[in-house]
Amino acid sequence: MSSTQIPDLRTLLGSRRGGPSRGRGRGRGGPGASHEDQAAVRDSAVRGTDQDAAGSRVSCVELGYLHDPYAKLFATQPSTRRLPLLNRGTYVRTSAIDLLVDKFLTTDPESPKQIVSLGAGTDTRYFRLRDAYPSTKIVYHEIDFPSNTAAKLSSIRRHPQLLTKLSSSSAQQTPNLPPAAKSYDSPIYNLHALDLRSLASTEDGPSTTLPNLDPSAPTLILSEMCLIYLQPKAVSDILDALLNKHIPAPTPVSLVLYEPILPEDAFGRTMISNLSTRNIHLPTLTAYPELADQRQRLKKYGFETGFCAADTHFIWREWVGDEEKARVAGLEMLDEHEELDLLLKHYCIAWGWRDGPEDNVFTNAWSHIRKQEKG
Amino acid sequence: MSIGGSDLDKAIQQLRSCRPIPENQVRELCYKARELLIEEGNVVGVDAPVTICGDIHGQFHDLMELFRVGGDVPDTNYLFMGDFVDRGFYSLESFLLLLCLKVRYPDRITLIRGNHESRQITTVYGFYDECLRKYGSANVWRYCCEVFDYLALGALVTGAATSLSPTDGPLAENTNLDALPSQDEEIEIETLNAAGEIMYRYARNSDSQSSNTSQPNSNPASSSPVQTPSRVGAAGTGATSSANGSSRNDTGAVLCVHGGLSPLIDTIDKIRLLDRKQEVPHEGAMCDLLWSDPDEIDGWGLSPRGAGFLFGADIVKCFNHKNDLSLIARAHQLVMEGFKEMFESTIVTVWSAPNYCYRCGNVAAILELGEDGSNAGYVRRSNGDQGGGGGGWVLGSNVGPNGQATNSNRRLSSVLGESLQQRSRDGPGRRYRVFEAAPQDSRGMPAKKPVADYFL
Repeated sequence: MSSTQIPDLRTLLGSRRGGPSRGRGRGRGGPGASHEDQAAVRDSAVRGTDQDAAGSRVSCVELGYLHDPYAKLFATQPSTRRLPLLNRGTYVRTSAIDLLVDKFLTTDPESPKQIVSLGAGTDTRYFRLRDAYPSTKIVYHEIDFPSNTAAKLSSIRRHPQLLTKLSSSSAQQTPNLPPAAKSYDSPIYNLHALDLRSLASTEDGPSTTLPNLDPSAPTLILSEMCLIYLQPKAVSDILDALLNKHIPAPTPVSLVLYEPILPEDAFGRTMISNLSTRNIHLPTLTAYPELADQRQRLKKYGFETGFCAADTHFIWREWVGDEEKARVAGLEMLDEHEELDLLLKHYCIAWGWRDGPEDNVFTNAWSHIRKQEKG
Repeated sequence: MSIGGSDLDKAIQQLRSCRPIPENQVRELCYKARELLIEEGNVVGVDAPVTICGDIHGQFHDLMELFRVGGDVPDTNYLFMGDFVDRGFYSLESFLLLLCLKVRYPDRITLIRGNHESRQITTVYGFYDECLRKYGSANVWRYCCEVFDYLALGALVTGAATSLSPTDGPLAENTNLDALPSQDEEIEIETLNAAGEIMYRYARNSDSQSSNTSQPNSNPASSSPVQTPSRVGAAGTGATSSANGSSRNDTGAVLCVHGGLSPLIDTIDKIRLLDRKQEVPHEGAMCDLLWSDPDEIDGWGLSPRGAGFLFGADIVKCFNHKNDLSLIARAHQLVMEGFKEMFESTIVTVWSAPNYCYRCGNVAAILELGEDGSNAGYVRRSNGDQGGGGGGWVLGSNVGPNGQATNSNRRLSSVLGESLQQRSRDGPGRRYRVFEAAPQDSRGMPAKKPVADYFL
């Protein structure tokens, strides 16, 4: 038995928590960074969450939960095997969003589609979608802090298999990425280096414009553990700007959220307290504690055609087919069922949409997705 | 260097302060422990009074809290139902301390095997890695695994009293005095918080108790230890108004096993015939005893864990009847309230790792069974006298972890009626002590505070 096969629980003790992020922009500032004010420390902690997600993704890929040849190219830290229940949770999260995205892209496959991924970090979805839907016209946008986008571009620059995905056809030359580049614009892939909060409207209109954003293409906005870190007012301002200024009606727009719920029970209280020791705060969690609140919130943002939410426990049971469940269950021995149920019930996917008067792309795409009635 | 006598006491002292003992001492200790355990049958006979504990999972500071709440060894007899190691950060110290206590006070402490006392599981869930980190080699992990192979598979508690001698403790805040049974009633269940204050007390066959056996156990997220239970009964108890209809008998024996029953085992004697001195197999009776779970099903079902089985109320009642048992006590499953009785109190899950994995927010419990007869052997613990961190979460009230719930004016007079001498076909009197995680500042955390993983 080699020690590399053994999960290194030291990572749970904090090796991931410390240290600079190896020349890839700033890591988290941490509570010791006395020169930063509190807000900056928090922003920094939020930026640092991305490597958590990247590590979880790599762990899942290496064990066969997910197929993602790109995950490893973005992880900056040596891969560590996560506990089986975390792998299962990452699997449910990723495959649930993949399902919603797939239904969207395969509805009217000839028509152009747009995806805006908020706080995308090292997410590999764009690269995976290029492989999975080579003939679908997708304009992809990712928005994140400049430190994260610069790091992402630097990873892309290092790996030809990523770099080639930035051009629309193999005939085209691989794009030139200057070493200091923080953002990238093209008709198919855009990396916008900005603080999400700057997207919110001012009186004169959106204060920030997004190059290559198509105001007429049906657009799926994705927030995987992103908007949760902002104040409820900031979130509704950002969505107001996106839905009314950047991509105004009648263009169909949808929002897919992945975030925790149920902050008020024992598990939820412990989660809030544990994360706050890492300077991570989840302002919208307490504002929208339950699935019903998530649905209402989507409606309030303007996603009035449909507003749905399901916890990931429900999604594992209802969205994943029996054969796939058996495959996933066979990947690792899982002895943490009660804990897994707890964990899965405390995260949800919420999805809402606004279709156009003549374009029902999201209704057509998602009407058969199983909704959770209770909760 | 031999470990015995004063050396052993020294080792105990060192481990109590959460410092590992040297590798050669571990080797010696494990050798001694194996000599002792090899003499035990697969099912250890244990006399009441005894305090039954569930999973510990390396949460050393919470184990210390358990001893504070339940009384120290050797003053209190303990039966630990396995899963000493993995998940928490102090599996090594927790297991070695329990092992030292076993060697030092063999008749005072019983250790049985959990599914985590296995080479395969400890390599995935942390104990192997912890040994490697703390000793630089896998030797200590290997010694411990050799001990695991000798741990008994179960224990049979006999001589437990059918009624509790009520504690003389104060009422916890928000405990409804009127809801407590009158003095001439037999006490079947009592629940105390970490300060020894009475949270609930139920008389046998009381109409005020409603069975919550129908409460699905698949929804732990919805249950909070500080919410008022929706049913009259105490959270976690399935007692007992219909207990007379069950197939219990008056022997009062309690089978303790980590997981549960096996379709290959219909009598306790069949457990005794197993060859246990091996790594936990992937299937078969020995595996099932350590892996199975009770569930709201009929008969047997496949376990989602991939090992062991699910078994329903009919299986438990049939097994208990056939084997003259009044109760099966088992661990293995996280329960947010620390304990959970099922199937008309024919089986109980006891969980002793509070705030499991530093993430789950649950409380823990231990189960005390008194001695039959006059209960003369029952010694009231003095641990509730310690102030400060003693304010436990109070089931059914809104008193928070540090709530001051002491009210010495509301003491119940002690009830020692003749009814205690009466024996019925019912199960033993059960006193649950519920406690929460040790206060943060009492833990010398490694380097930094442990940070549980979440999806970020």
